Amino acid sequence: MWHITKREIYDNLNSLRFALTTVLLLALMVTNAVKHLREHPKRVQRYQDAVTESSDRLTAHADGSLYKLAQYGPGNFYKKPSPLHFCANGGESILPDTITVREPPVFATDAENNVILQGVWSLSYPDANLQNKNVGPNVSQVDWAFIIGYILSLIALWFTFDAFSGEREQGTLRLMLANSIPRHTVLIGKFLGALFSISIPFALAVLVNLLLISTANTVHLTAEAWGRLGIIFCLALLYTSLFVALGLLVSARVQQSAVSLMILLLTWVTFVVFMPSTLASIASSFSPATSFDEFWKQRNPVKEDLWDKYDEWLWSSKLDDKTLRGKSEFYTENAERDERWHEERSKYRSSQVYRARAITGISPATLLQHLIEGFAGTGFERHLQFVENTQRYARQLREFVADTDRADPESLHILGVREGTSKKPISPESVPRFEDTLNLSRDFNTAAMELLLLTLFVLVLLSGAYLAFVRVEV
Amino acid sequence: MLMTLIRRELLDNLMTFRFAAAVFITLLLVVANTIVLLKDYEQRLTAYNKAVNESHQELREEKTYSGYAGALIIHRPPNPLSIFNLGLDKQVGNKIEVYHAFIPTMWDAEKHGADNPFLNLFTSIDIVLVFQGVLSLLALIFAYDALAGERERGTLRLVLTHPIQRGYILFAKYISAMLCLLVPLLISLLLSIILLTTSTTMSLRADDFLRIGGIVLTSLLYVSLFYLIGLCISAMTRRTSTALMLCMFVWGVLVLVYPNLILTAVDIVPQPNTQISVYNQIKQMWEEWDRENKRFLRNDAVLGPLSRNGEGWGFRLKGVEYSFAPSEDKPSTLLYFYQTSFYAGKIGAESEPQVPLVQDYYGFYNRETINTVQRTWLVRKPALEAIYIQPANLGRMLLRFSPGGLYDAATEAWAGTDLDGIQDFFSTVQRYRRAVVDYFYDKKIFESRQWFAADKGTADWDALPQFSFHRSDTGINAKRALPDMLLLLTMNVILFTVIMLIFIKSEV
Repeated sequence: MWHITKREIYDNLNSLRFALTTVLLLALMVTNAVKHLREHPKRVQRYQDAVTESSDRLTAHADGSLYKLAQYGPGNFYKKPSPLHFCANGGESILPDTITVREPPVFATDAENNVILQGVWSLSYPDANLQNKNVGPNVSQVDWAFIIGYILSLIALWFTFDAFSGEREQGTLRLMLANSIPRHTVLIGKFLGALFSISIPFALAVLVNLLLISTANTVHLTAEAWGRLGIIFCLALLYTSLFVALGLLVSARVQQSAVSLMILLLTWVTFVVFMPSTLASIASSFSPATSFDEFWKQRNPVKEDLWDKYDEWLWSSKLDDKTLRGKSEFYTENAERDERWHEERSKYRSSQVYRARAITGISPATLLQHLIEGFAGTGFERHLQFVENTQRYARQLREFVADTDRADPESLHILGVREGTSKKPISPESVPRFEDTLNLSRDFNTAAMELLLLTLFVLVLLSGAYLAFVRVEV
Repeated sequence: MLMTLIRRELLDNLMTFRFAAAVFITLLLVVANTIVLLKDYEQRLTAYNKAVNESHQELREEKTYSGYAGALIIHRPPNPLSIFNLGLDKQVGNKIEVYHAFIPTMWDAEKHGADNPFLNLFTSIDIVLVFQGVLSLLALIFAYDALAGERERGTLRLVLTHPIQRGYILFAKYISAMLCLLVPLLISLLLSIILLTTSTTMSLRADDFLRIGGIVLTSLLYVSLFYLIGLCISAMTRRTSTALMLCMFVWGVLVLVYPNLILTAVDIVPQPNTQISVYNQIKQMWEEWDRENKRFLRNDAVLGPLSRNGEGWGFRLKGVEYSFAPSEDKPSTLLYFYQTSFYAGKIGAESEPQVPLVQDYYGFYNRETINTVQRTWLVRKPALEAIYIQPANLGRMLLRFSPGGLYDAATEAWAGTDLDGIQDFFSTVQRYRRAVVDYFYDKKIFESRQWFAADKGTADWDALPQFSFHRSDTGINAKRALPDMLLLLTMNVILFTVIMLIFIKSEV
């Protein structure tokens, strides 16, 4: 078997396609690295500036008083850019990188424009960035996901389309099978040979890419990032072997190599290029689009209710416990409803995206895209993680405010109302800070299903190739 | 003789497996995508109709003329030909406000609330994209063995023993292959058009069919170019397997690698902060307007804008500074203006003598606003072009180095979903804004009582000029598509000549 593998590799190393592949992959990977080096420092800088500003705001609120912190909340939240951004862009231009904290709404003012009713802060989930400002042509960015998903798979077909049909045309297949080699050994030899011959230029290109990125002192890759890169590399090999198996399967079934190539290419175009977008369109058209106004109407009567419910407290200027408590409840309930409504809307939209993603999973290219996004810490999953992190922090901060207020004996412990909350300044160091994090084990869990599906694809195709090759007459 | 050759080639091609596969796969992809695209179009059209109705209602709820701020909204209908080439139809905003204090551009447009913008994570597809990927592939597959294969089998030598010019052989091959490729193209297009005409919501007009004809013609040029590329490779190589491999490589590079690589390498993202000085200039102009406004209030007997006053509405006392806050402040689109709307249900009796003075004031205020808008537009327009149009055009120019880019640009122009087509809509909106302003001037609405008060007659919205938008004439589409089509044609001619030279000089 190793003999066959070796022969295959030698055969390929001298061929024109090997040279072309190497040049192509190198060009793509170098472009990718250069672009990352050019853009990543800016991205990190922007993030750090934004975080500093947001942190300063929190400090300023805490310095003011606990009441101010309770009313104005923290600064905006920013998504931490992934150091592995070059692996998968993950729709960065569409997904929002900020969750804003809404200023406390002013419900009523008196004749002199003095605020008499003002609520508390709430989270506002932003929509996806509308790309309606950029009128330039729409192309995909050259990231690893593109290079592996489109180019490497095409190269795999390119290396295997004539694996059997070519040898059959030349007559060497008959010669080989005349020796006492079992057919499955031939198949596996061919498989490994093709896989290795593709891996060599790919590994070379990846090495150049990583060398460029890691030697530049503007980008730092941690040990964990290297681990993730290793996983992505293995994913690339798994994905490539899928197409190698497909190539062997078709090549074994078809007499002419030209026909085999044609079938392979059309399959490739259908599964890799068209299926993801067509299926996504179908899936997203299942659920009707609800307009902003429809959502608003669902929500508005509820809001009216709130005004009725707290009517007797809202317009009174008395400072007794009951009035203050009524106002406080009104504010918090208002903020909660605002937040819940926003959350529902964003959940509805996410579920639409989820459904589309699940259905497009039939295409291995999409599976790979999702997997790489998962391990690179970009894309839609990452966006949801960011939202979750923010929500957790918001709860934590609210608890902190309540606890600190409880510790102040002078306070009436009615949050959200000036007269009822502690007015002591708090040390900014004691306030919990938001940190956006990614962790690997979680990624593994979400990726497991997709990984399994991809492996299944490979196994099915490989056994298909085996069956086809066993039955073939030379 | 030529006919015999063409017939032979045709029969050769038609009986092959690749021809059947070509027809099958093109049909499958085009029909499947047409159904999906049609559904998508219908959804967009429903959203558009819903939005138009909502805006119509909203405007009628306004009682004073000044209330039209933010309520007079124009929606961009989806282009039915976007099924063929989506272009910018979905990307650019489809909801634009018409107001006298700013000139509407496509960068001020927003999206209908019904769309889920997260779904833009998935790439969208159109029929031209299917053709771009599949037909080019098929053309190469038909071409790779045209000469190399015959040379390998020795039939080329046989044919050349007859007294036939080599040019004829090439021509016959070209014609027959193009006829074969035309079959899947036309059948699939025909099917998709039948699907489109059965839909009740889709209304294709007569000139739309002309445009589709233009798209077919461009597709033909595109396919022919790829066939010639394949033929060229076939003429240059000795063996079919080498030709096949090279064809595939060329296809991958031209269709897949080049467009993405070049636009990743060259940064074409709009950079709004390069024009921040223009934004500041615009801001200054408005601040100057604000000072002018305040000076008027100080020097005149008028007492300033509305404020609540006991039972009814009255006016602020002289000497009380009153200033508006800019309502729109978007550095990324260089937008800065003041939007004010007034509503007084009932004006207090003691304020009644001041009403003519206030009317005068609003007349002055709105006139100055419109003048300021004109002044800012002079600097805003070129700056917006520098931010957004120039990089977009650079990107398109770079894409034109690949046949796919040319094909995309030309079909976009035919469908009217290109930048020019979208801009047509926004220039119509700009003209409409002018018409509304002229109407307000004519009827003296800016200085009328109905501008701010609804107690003596309310605003009459039905007399307002109506907005209507028609896509540009087919002639204009053709003019926009022509340069790219000519480029495609030239490339075709050049390649054909090159192949001819290679083939004539080559030994059999």
